[in-house]
Amino acid sequence: MLSIKNLHAGIEDKDILKGINLEVKAGEVHAIMGPNGSGKSTLSAVIAGNENYEVTDGSVELDGEDLADLAPEERAHKGVFLSFQYPVEIPGVSVTNFMKTAINESRKAKGQEEMPANEMLKLIREKSELLEIDRKFLSRSLNEGFSGGEKKRNEIFQMAMLEPKLAILDETDSGLDIDALRIVANGVNKLKSENNAIIVITHYQRLLDYIVPDFVHVLYNGKIVKSGGKELAYELEEKGYDWIKAEN
Amino acid sequence: MELKEKLISSFMAFEERVDVDSDLHDVRTEAFKNFENKGFPTKKEEAWKYTSLNTILKNDFSVFPKKENAVEFSEVKKYFIHEIDTYKVVFVDGVFSSFLSSTTHDGLDVCLMSSALTKPKYKMVIDEYFNKVANKEESLTSLNTAFAYEGAYINIPRSKVVEKPIEIINFSTGTEAALLVQPRNLIIVGENAHVQIIERHQSLNDNPVLTNSVTEIFVQKRAIVDYYKIQNDNLEASLIDNTYIAQKEQSNASVHTFSFGGNLTRNNLNFYHQGEHIDSTLKGITIIEGKQHVDHYTLVQHATPNCESHQNYKGIFDDKSTGVFNGKIYVEKEAQKTDAFQQNNNILLSDKASINAKPQLEIFADDVKCSHGCTIGQLDEKAMFYMQSRGIPQKEAKALLMYAFSNEVIESIKIPAMKARITKIIAMKLGVNMGFDL
Amino acid sequence: MSKYTEDDLKIELENKEYEYGFYTDIESDTFPVGLNEDIVRAISKKKEEPEWMTDWRIEAFRAWEQMVEPEWANVHYEKPKFQDISYYSAPLKKAKYESLDEVDPELLETFKKLGISIDEQKMLSGVAVDIVMDSVSVATTFKKTLAEKGIIFCSISEAIKEHSELVRKYIGSVVPQKDNFYAALNSAVFSDGSFCYIPKGVRCPMELSTYFRINQAGTGQFERTLVIADEGSYVSYLEGCTAPSRDENQLHAAVVELIALDDAEIKYSTVQNWFPGNKEGKGGVYNFVTKRGLCEKNAKISWTQVETGSAVTWKYPSCILKGDNSVGEFYSIAVTNNYQQADTGTKMIHLGKNTKSTIISKGISAGKSQNSYRGLVQISSRADNARNFSQCDSLLMGNNCGAHTFPYIESKNPSAKIEHEATTSKIGEDQVFYCNQRGIPTEKAIALIVNGFSKEVLNKLPMEFAVEAQKLLEISLEGSVG
Repeated sequence: MLSIKNLHAGIEDKDILKGINLEVKAGEVHAIMGPNGSGKSTLSAVIAGNENYEVTDGSVELDGEDLADLAPEERAHKGVFLSFQYPVEIPGVSVTNFMKTAINESRKAKGQEEMPANEMLKLIREKSELLEIDRKFLSRSLNEGFSGGEKKRNEIFQMAMLEPKLAILDETDSGLDIDALRIVANGVNKLKSENNAIIVITHYQRLLDYIVPDFVHVLYNGKIVKSGGKELAYELEEKGYDWIKAEN
Repeated sequence: MELKEKLISSFMAFEERVDVDSDLHDVRTEAFKNFENKGFPTKKEEAWKYTSLNTILKNDFSVFPKKENAVEFSEVKKYFIHEIDTYKVVFVDGVFSSFLSSTTHDGLDVCLMSSALTKPKYKMVIDEYFNKVANKEESLTSLNTAFAYEGAYINIPRSKVVEKPIEIINFSTGTEAALLVQPRNLIIVGENAHVQIIERHQSLNDNPVLTNSVTEIFVQKRAIVDYYKIQNDNLEASLIDNTYIAQKEQSNASVHTFSFGGNLTRNNLNFYHQGEHIDSTLKGITIIEGKQHVDHYTLVQHATPNCESHQNYKGIFDDKSTGVFNGKIYVEKEAQKTDAFQQNNNILLSDKASINAKPQLEIFADDVKCSHGCTIGQLDEKAMFYMQSRGIPQKEAKALLMYAFSNEVIESIKIPAMKARITKIIAMKLGVNMGFDL
Repeated sequence: MSKYTEDDLKIELENKEYEYGFYTDIESDTFPVGLNEDIVRAISKKKEEPEWMTDWRIEAFRAWEQMVEPEWANVHYEKPKFQDISYYSAPLKKAKYESLDEVDPELLETFKKLGISIDEQKMLSGVAVDIVMDSVSVATTFKKTLAEKGIIFCSISEAIKEHSELVRKYIGSVVPQKDNFYAALNSAVFSDGSFCYIPKGVRCPMELSTYFRINQAGTGQFERTLVIADEGSYVSYLEGCTAPSRDENQLHAAVVELIALDDAEIKYSTVQNWFPGNKEGKGGVYNFVTKRGLCEKNAKISWTQVETGSAVTWKYPSCILKGDNSVGEFYSIAVTNNYQQADTGTKMIHLGKNTKSTIISKGISAGKSQNSYRGLVQISSRADNARNFSQCDSLLMGNNCGAHTFPYIESKNPSAKIEHEATTSKIGEDQVFYCNQRGIPTEKAIALIVNGFSKEVLNKLPMEFAVEAQKLLEISLEGSVG
């Protein structure tokens, strides 16, 4: 589904990603781990099409299509979803209104009719229950005054609403207490299917107890330096990143 | 004779006395013309909407003191920050008092405007800086420029950290029936230099005094200036303070204004940015009563990108006193990434006190963070009651709350002795004898 | 990469033509240009006014002659040449219609383009509409339904004749003839406008609505609105404005007076969409309006405005909170684009005890426009426990426009509490990217963010107006976004 080949990217002349290769197939869960500053968030931003980052070499393909020339919203329409590490506040725009706009824009791009209001409401109800989200929450301004946990839960709620092909969860566990983590992970697991794939970016192994990865990759200094099964995460947790640093 | 007429007739006499051949002759003449055209400001002007000079201008001010007056150190000791060693530039009725002063030419210049304006060795500096940042359109500034002769001249060379604060003190003795004084200060702080300055105007008896002061401050690259104005004069003294500050890149300038005394006080405080990454701070505490009037008129002209300004003014008004806060933040088109903040909080303690506030934002750049907040209110009654129920008498409780209200500004005073002094003045002003160790 | 940038949006905006810029070809009865006492008398005569009204106009005209045009506002424009304007223009047909069948089909077409249909549909939606085209009121619907409740809703000309006592008592009582330059001019030459009276204790069952339109070239529009809510009554009043696009500037100087007697409430909403001039800043309407309301005891006046049109706007809907416990509110969205200039805000004059006022102002500037908020909160020494909360937010789009705030706060009472907050911001790149990532294109994302920014005010508008206002916001800012 996702194929990254020799990806080099950076920001303002500073190289951050220095040749990433990654293959993700439908139905798989991949975890990307690594110390601070190893390029984890840059990778997610580049896949989502953030134009602050410049791709200098290599390619990112989704189902065989090169994403390079696509705007962020076009990538979203093709099924790329990024759960932000720091979700942005948009004052005055309610969660519901935002989701309605996002869903209908995607449908428009695919030449479909707008989703009827009753269907939309039903979907919202269903998905908010999945994430144990209070309905009142949905009429609040997007991310404004949300607690850290609420913001992350809201990200996964949006993922549930948009049903992406490829979901990238960037440090979704940061700022979550254990109950919230369980709810979020539970939501993600229910959304997992044969037809989609998930990339979990995290610093710690804890989240991976709940969202169990098929593969774990260690990112260090802009490269994937180690790949393995879920046991690699435990090894990392135990030995710490110094182990990786020492080897490289 | 009306004051304006008197000034017109005095001007020629003044020019003859100070030397008509001087290079400054043209500067003075032009400035005087501007004043002559515009006259004293009236309430019809937007900038003077809330402050009237009419009553004050009715006094029969003498423009030049008739004789030199000397004061004994013991009479004025209490007006110095005596806890700490300082450089001192002291004037009595507008005339330099070498006896009370402690100036220096050793590695830095802390001396007199009159010599800077006349001696050849200062000519280049005067040509480059004198009257260069002062607003030439403003009539009172022009009036000062026309009669500019005496004041403090401070020039700090590159990378010099001035160890002792500098005090600029203007005494008026009141031997004249009414006196108009117009000090003119020029302060140049060289690249990477650091200086702390304290300015005070003090009259020593009850005859009316009007001070129309102009201070120009040039803050060069990376320099740091902390400027403190103590305005705690007696009730017949009025002050119009015009301060103009030009800042170069990465410099940091702060002005704290403490207005407790005086009859009418008007502070025109202007900051002009001439480089990136500049930091400007404007803070003030006003605590007045009776029929006192304090008007803060501030301008921060953001002309360059990536600069910050912080304004925080607190006012407490009792009896029939009146307060004005007119704060203008101007962000030019080029000044992207400006971060400008302005806060003005006021407490009215009496039925007859009033406050007029006009915080203004004029913004022409889009990527900026600007905000202003203004509140007018009372002391928190619940907090008062809470303290009283814990046995703190009403007066002390009130004083504590007011001190707490002003604390944000007091906290940022960087000279400890100065902070102690201000705290003490506030306690006296609030009529309590207590330390505020908040 | 194919990315729709803010720059693209700007270009599109600049090329966007004014949607309502059509001119209705209806024969008009237009006065010669120029202004003197004879013209004032002629207007009064044409309208068959009683003598006191004529005298009142003449008094205003004489005062106006002595006045100078104000210059303090933060706007720059070529002063209207008052002697080149025609002060009266009326569609040359019978000016009053009993039923829609009598209305000129072309006029009906105009209304349709404006989005106002004075047909059954509109009737069903429960809005009574009075339409003032150029200077004359052409249709007042729903009159009979309203009459049953004792509500008077008619053109001001009709009111001067039929309800002379009421008009005489209240006209000029809140905005005196000599109040300001434009108010004086309006008092002298106003040609029509709306009049509304809600009797004691009556809650007006429907929204009352007026549409104003300037049609004829070289004419000024000077309408006069007078709304009186008698004790304990309630009315919600809507006002919409459009004008055809023309190269020359058209002058609009209206006066609106609201009187809310004890325990009454008036809600006055405006969507102003006069022609703003073309993208070079040519043409457009000069909108110099005086709006003021008086609150007696426990009364409430709420002004809501969405200002997207006009080349130059000068307008401060105000409340005089005379009665104890009275409440004043001002909710405003002002959008400026291209070369538009707006200097708008409010005055809240607190005279009575326990009076409360709220000001929420949202300014959005784009293109080369200048947008100023100017407001006064004044607490008199008698206004014990007065409360004010003001919030002025500005949003800048692009780097050629300006946002300005000039709040005046004057308090003479120690028990008053006043809070004022203001912010200026731009649309964040990170906000746009976040929307993009969720599949929302940049253009739509900006529309979404602008609507969010304006939400607090949009929410104050009556439902059907809110939809229209939202659409207008998008038209004035976001090009083809719909």
